[in-house]
Amino acid sequence: MIRGLIFVLLLIPFIYLVLELFIFQTAIDPIKYIYTITGATAITLLFFTTTLSLWFKKLIRYRRMIGLFGFFYAFLHLCNFFILDMDGNLLFAFKETLDKPFIYLGMISFLLLLFMAATSTKRLFRKYGKYHKVLYIVLVLTTIHFVMAQKSLSVSQYGYLTVIFVIALFKIKKILQVKKTQ
Amino acid sequence: MQISHKDITPELLFNQRRSFLKLGAASMIASSALIELMAKEDLPLPDLIFKKDPNRDHLELNSFKEITSYNNFYEFTTSKKGVKALAKQMNTEGWKITIDGLVEKPLTLDVKELTKRYPLEERIYRFRCVEGWAMVVPWVGFELRKLIQDVKPLKRAKYVQFWTKYDEAMFPDQKRGLFATITYPYTEGLRMDEAMHPLTLLAVGLYGKTLENQNGAPIRLVVPWKYGFKSIKSIDRISLIEKQPLNTWQKENPREFGFYANVNPEVDHPRWSQKTERVLGKFVKQRTLLFNGYEKEVGYMYKDMDLRKEI
Repeated sequence: MIRGLIFVLLLIPFIYLVLELFIFQTAIDPIKYIYTITGATAITLLFFTTTLSLWFKKLIRYRRMIGLFGFFYAFLHLCNFFILDMDGNLLFAFKETLDKPFIYLGMISFLLLLFMAATSTKRLFRKYGKYHKVLYIVLVLTTIHFVMAQKSLSVSQYGYLTVIFVIALFKIKKILQVKKTQ
Repeated sequence: MQISHKDITPELLFNQRRSFLKLGAASMIASSALIELMAKEDLPLPDLIFKKDPNRDHLELNSFKEITSYNNFYEFTTSKKGVKALAKQMNTEGWKITIDGLVEKPLTLDVKELTKRYPLEERIYRFRCVEGWAMVVPWVGFELRKLIQDVKPLKRAKYVQFWTKYDEAMFPDQKRGLFATITYPYTEGLRMDEAMHPLTLLAVGLYGKTLENQNGAPIRLVVPWKYGFKSIKSIDRISLIEKQPLNTWQKENPREFGFYANVNPEVDHPRWSQKTERVLGKFVKQRTLLFNGYEKEVGYMYKDMDLRKEI
């Protein structure tokens, strides 16, 4: 029941995006709009998964699902890059990826997420779970990626970065505490 | 069968509904049927008298709604969608513009007078933002060179500098001091030959109607072969000077934004590609053209320059 509710909740950004693009048609710059919605949702969900151990311990059992949804939005983000932004031109996309730091940061992040998604089954997680710490690398890289993609940062983006910073502080504090008790 | 007059679309409107306004306000027949049709097409009611642009390149216009709902105007907000609502409070009544510096006859004029002084014409131009989006806008205005010629520039005048109005009551971001997004007043510049080029326009309207606030009312610059940030909005002063001025975006980040800012698919912005562009309202990108498609007209001005260095 709760699982179903969370599932629907996590689909809302996707549904909203589809409605805005095709039904209400309010997105004036559609490619940019898809980037913004999918990117922001992906980063938010991935950051959220790391905070569950801090103050939403009850939700930890749903952590995998939330993480996979983060991957799903990152995948949509990547599809937008290949199909619409690069016009399906693989060679051009490859060149751009090697040429532009913010794109290869995003690409590295996606590959790490792909590894995590692929090894998220119960059986594989037993073996590879310890490597899921790479999520922290993803979080650092995607944060830089999103800052670099802007011409200049808006007030809300600064707010977003502040929240990220606070979460990072709490996580570091927690890791240090665990180290002390060991 | 009875056909009432409102069932009949005038042939003109039927044949070129989207571009109907190119007829110009002078030839408008303000019949209620027409007004209804224009409302249906989301076209504004024209209030300017101008010579229409034959649109020889057959450029496909962006809609009035697209052009007036997606704007960069940092004096209000960095949100391109948010500008429209915030700009409503802007009062452009009695707006004066000064043109001074190295000139024989400096001028301060009401913008209303200015538009009576110079006959208005429509110019359908491509518009390309440095961020990678683009549109086609039917501006209404007059050539900047006409105004410059009238103030009689001195020989020493080599550059023209422009300033957006500084008015904290009008522009919320200007009163944020240290927390402002960029330094104000926003300023831009052109080399004298660029300013005197027949494509360089001072725009007072678009789609036949007086400029909306979010598009830089009551008077803005339009330099179609350069990135959008060169086309400074809501101008209150123009000055002819001797040395190359430091424009706002160059001051903010000289590695990424230069003085020339010519549209060039071969010179990428350090952080993103400029080879292609997103046309507003479209899911498919298109190739960016050298000098935004105006190479024939403006290329000669840059033939001795290294366009990779002089960004």
